[in-house]
Amino acid sequence: MRAQLMRRTLLSLVLGLLFLSTPAMGSCLDNYQELLGQLQKQADFMQHTSMLLDPYISIQGLDKDGLKEHCQERPGVFPSKDVLQRLSRQEFLQILNTTLGHVLHRLRTLQKDILKAQDLEKLNIAKLNIRGFKNNIHCMAQLLPGSLEKTEPTPTGPGASPSPTPISDAFQRRLEGCRFLHGYHRFMHSVGQVFREWGQSLSRSRRHSPRRGLRKGKHRTHLSSRNKRLMPRGWLPR
Amino acid sequence: MLTLKTWIVQALFIFFTTESVGELLEPCGHIKPESPVVQLGSNFTAVCVLKEKCMDYFHVNANYIFWKTNHVTVPKEQYTVINRTASSVTFTDISLLNIQLTCNIRTFGQIDQNVYGIRIISGLPPEKPKNLSCIVNEGKKMMCQWDPGRETYLETNFTLKSEWATEKFADCKTKRDIPTSCTVDYSPVYFVNIEVWVEAENALGKVTSDHINFDPVDKVKPNPPHNLSVSNSEELSSILKLTWINSSIQSFIRLKYNIQYRTRDASIWSQIPPEDTASSRTSFTVQDLKPFTEYVFRVRCMKEDGKGFWSDWSEEASGITYEDRPSKAPSFWYKIEPSHTHGYRSVQLIWKTLPPFEANGKILDYEVTLIRWKSRLQNYTVNDTKWTVNLTNDRYIATLTARNLVGKSDAAVLTIPAYNFQGNLAESKCYLITVTPVYTDGPGSPESIKAYLKQAPPSKGPTVRTKKVGKNEAVLEWDQLPVDVQNGFIRNYTIFYRTIIGNETAVNVDSSHTEYTLSSLTSDTLYMVRMAAYTDEGGKDGPEFTFTTPKFAQGEIEAIVVPVCLAFLLTTLLGVLFCFNKRDLIKKHIWPNVPDPSKSHIAQWSPHTPPRHNFNSKDQIYSDGNFTDVSVVEIEAANDKKPFPEDLKSLDLFKKEKISTEGHSSGIGGSSCMSSSRPSISSSDENESAQNTSGTVQYSTVVHSGYRHQVPSVQVFSRSESTQPLLDSEERPEDLQLVDNTDSSVGNLPRQQYFKQNCSQRETSPDISHFERSKQVSSVNEEDFVRLKQQISDISQSCGSGQMKMFQEISVADAFGLHTEGQVERFETVGTEAAVDEGMSKSYLPQTVRRGGYMPQ
Repeated sequence: MRAQLMRRTLLSLVLGLLFLSTPAMGSCLDNYQELLGQLQKQADFMQHTSMLLDPYISIQGLDKDGLKEHCQERPGVFPSKDVLQRLSRQEFLQILNTTLGHVLHRLRTLQKDILKAQDLEKLNIAKLNIRGFKNNIHCMAQLLPGSLEKTEPTPTGPGASPSPTPISDAFQRRLEGCRFLHGYHRFMHSVGQVFREWGQSLSRSRRHSPRRGLRKGKHRTHLSSRNKRLMPRGWLPR
Repeated sequence: MLTLKTWIVQALFIFFTTESVGELLEPCGHIKPESPVVQLGSNFTAVCVLKEKCMDYFHVNANYIFWKTNHVTVPKEQYTVINRTASSVTFTDISLLNIQLTCNIRTFGQIDQNVYGIRIISGLPPEKPKNLSCIVNEGKKMMCQWDPGRETYLETNFTLKSEWATEKFADCKTKRDIPTSCTVDYSPVYFVNIEVWVEAENALGKVTSDHINFDPVDKVKPNPPHNLSVSNSEELSSILKLTWINSSIQSFIRLKYNIQYRTRDASIWSQIPPEDTASSRTSFTVQDLKPFTEYVFRVRCMKEDGKGFWSDWSEEASGITYEDRPSKAPSFWYKIEPSHTHGYRSVQLIWKTLPPFEANGKILDYEVTLIRWKSRLQNYTVNDTKWTVNLTNDRYIATLTARNLVGKSDAAVLTIPAYNFQGNLAESKCYLITVTPVYTDGPGSPESIKAYLKQAPPSKGPTVRTKKVGKNEAVLEWDQLPVDVQNGFIRNYTIFYRTIIGNETAVNVDSSHTEYTLSSLTSDTLYMVRMAAYTDEGGKDGPEFTFTTPKFAQGEIEAIVVPVCLAFLLTTLLGVLFCFNKRDLIKKHIWPNVPDPSKSHIAQWSPHTPPRHNFNSKDQIYSDGNFTDVSVVEIEAANDKKPFPEDLKSLDLFKKEKISTEGHSSGIGGSSCMSSSRPSISSSDENESAQNTSGTVQYSTVVHSGYRHQVPSVQVFSRSESTQPLLDSEERPEDLQLVDNTDSSVGNLPRQQYFKQNCSQRETSPDISHFERSKQVSSVNEEDFVRLKQQISDISQSCGSGQMKMFQEISVADAFGLHTEGQVERFETVGTEAAVDEGMSKSYLPQTVRRGGYMPQ
């Protein structure tokens, strides 16, 4: 019990620090259902390989027979769907936020290999979308109730590991980038499914309880008013 | 000239008095503020400060300062000399946008020298930008526009600011020529709410618009659908199917559409009902189109939920509906030309081409058929619009159909008369004369007219009848005369009507009518009516018709009857309500309450229950003397099912006693204490009680039911003062016994019989059981108590001491109303009871027996 409490506190601290670094900005959407819908839709379109992987394969010349087969996700780079499903909502958001941070970092690395402005534009759009997704994660974290739903210890998974050690071989580097993006799209697909489960559980809980949303006496009640800036506080209470 | 010389001298003087160029340019003072921007309509004060050096040189001070605006001297009233070196000028309500203000001194009394000059800029602070809205053109960056508010007359910068909850975007600065809109330099991120606002700033202030927070996907203006194509269906000539490709935004959002169409030569667009196109799709089938008609289509789309903007219209696409069979037969005619061959004639059939909306396709050919009288059909296929054929002089019927890819039209029929046809026209016969113009390209629209060679009066008058007859009016109707009997054009009708005794009245009616309403008729009167039809040549009367107007108009009877019925109903209802409300009063006066002996009850109380002298306050409500004598007699039956004959005997005795004490103190129970033959429990109130009940026939009943549905275990005798005759069961104790037996056989409970009496209760309530009454009697005065004890002692003399004690308990307890439901205890009868009963036959009081002993009285 004590260890669990400690773990929660640490988690809150980590997430708090994570978002403390974010400057106070515009207001979040305060409607849980809408925000969840946005997250679902974001995950839905970000899972499409046309957003990143396909252009990357094309740019890097990996769209040749025999090469595509090598562009498979490297296990352990991204958390599996199974792992994601076992996380509490707060933990899930934390993992998601961290993983997307790593993806952004990796995309900056991949950017170096892209020379055409048109391709760079695509990559920048993808990065902006990921930043937008992280923004929504931040907003969702503020809407979630303070309690952790799952108490049993859950492996947080490795998350997207930071960029691997530099590979001198250009081809191998491209292939690694391809594998990474493949894993990224798969990861976003799993994320979308988890969010969908959130929606289903919400509709189930609504059927059983008249309580609206998941706001549970948290400080944040009406976030639409523009003065509700992100306050420097623990991301996860308790 | 002199003035000019003076000026030149002054100028030279000034020039030479300066030591260097630098000093020449150095001003003699300065104005504060240096470059003011003033709000229009506000006050403004400028201060001119002279330099000491200059002052000394020119021998001037602040008093020598004078101001000019745009080269016009400002009145001195606006000046204020602050000190020796400074003077200010104040302007109120600045209205000019651009003012040149100079500070001047007059040197040497006549030379005006400019010390310093500034330019005052006037304007207004920016207003709060309003109506900020943004649009995301698909594939482009977000553009926001707003209403900047009033003209400021100053350079005003508008900055569009935007941010997420976690990130701030670069400001979007407006271009000088388009200060009301700005396009951000980042791609829109859908499904992430962004906050946007505008800052307007000029020299007079900065103001911020309201913030708007939205999801860019809700501001999308999609690209229009492209590759729109139209295809028709061979199965259905009234539909066209549109297909298109949606813009790539469809991967993010669902779309709805507007589809418009028009025929090629029309200018106005028709639109498919929006509800039919309210969901994402890539095709749509348009129905209810005309066959073989070219239609032009265009499509646009927007976000399905209506948020955002409609796309531009797609490029137009056209298609032609499939053919349908011609909807109308072509009109055709004939020309007869003389033929060289005897007995034949040349007939040219000519017809018009069908217009496209009737042809419903491309007319491939025409089929002509000719039918001669009693001969077979002849078919000909013609590609042209005319056809010449040699026909005999007989009469022919020609038909014509147009054929397209799908089918044939209906047939147009034409009669070609016989060669020597001549009409024999008769008088007073109606002829329809039709004239069909024949043009070079075929016949035109025929015109027809009816005509008579000579008219005559109708050979028959119209038959009139009533359609509806009212109290004061009647609607008459008639049929148009058949053409055969008209003999001319019917010009008008005349209706004649009269009563039996009255004059005939005539009314003229236009010939186009077939109905007329006679008004101002008298009710309940017989009318005779006839009608005549007139042509130009005269008229003819029809048969006479009679009808009678009713006495009452429709609904009149109902108008009388219904209110009367309602009034009666209301009265009855009120009467019933009144009776219901006053039912007690009515019942009291008309039929007083007659107790039902069968519902009489007698309470049970137990000899085991110790007497409780419960003189509580509640018991005090009964006055003294209300309760005088109480006797309790219990008859205990044997446990066996068969009743004891002694019991029956005692019942007989009760009966007898009832008869003997009638008018004095009747009833089985009542006699137990009120009759003189029962000294044992008689009371001093006996006579009084007898008087009270002298008007009634008092009797007792044997209650054989348990209290509140409990299984009766005892047979209870109760006195009643009812005047109602005894029921059979009461008059025949045998029956009662039988019932008792039955009950005893059901429940194997110890059988007891209580006989209780309340002799002297003045407020008689005969049908109240003794038990109930005992509950009511809650207070007894001391005298009653003593008397009761006396009675008990009398009884006890003939009983065993133990039994007497028991009886005392019962009597006292009962007398003071101590029995309650739960307190009723049962006495068991003993076997010796029968014998004792027999001994008690004179007093006919059953004995109260306690378990283990029996106490005869």
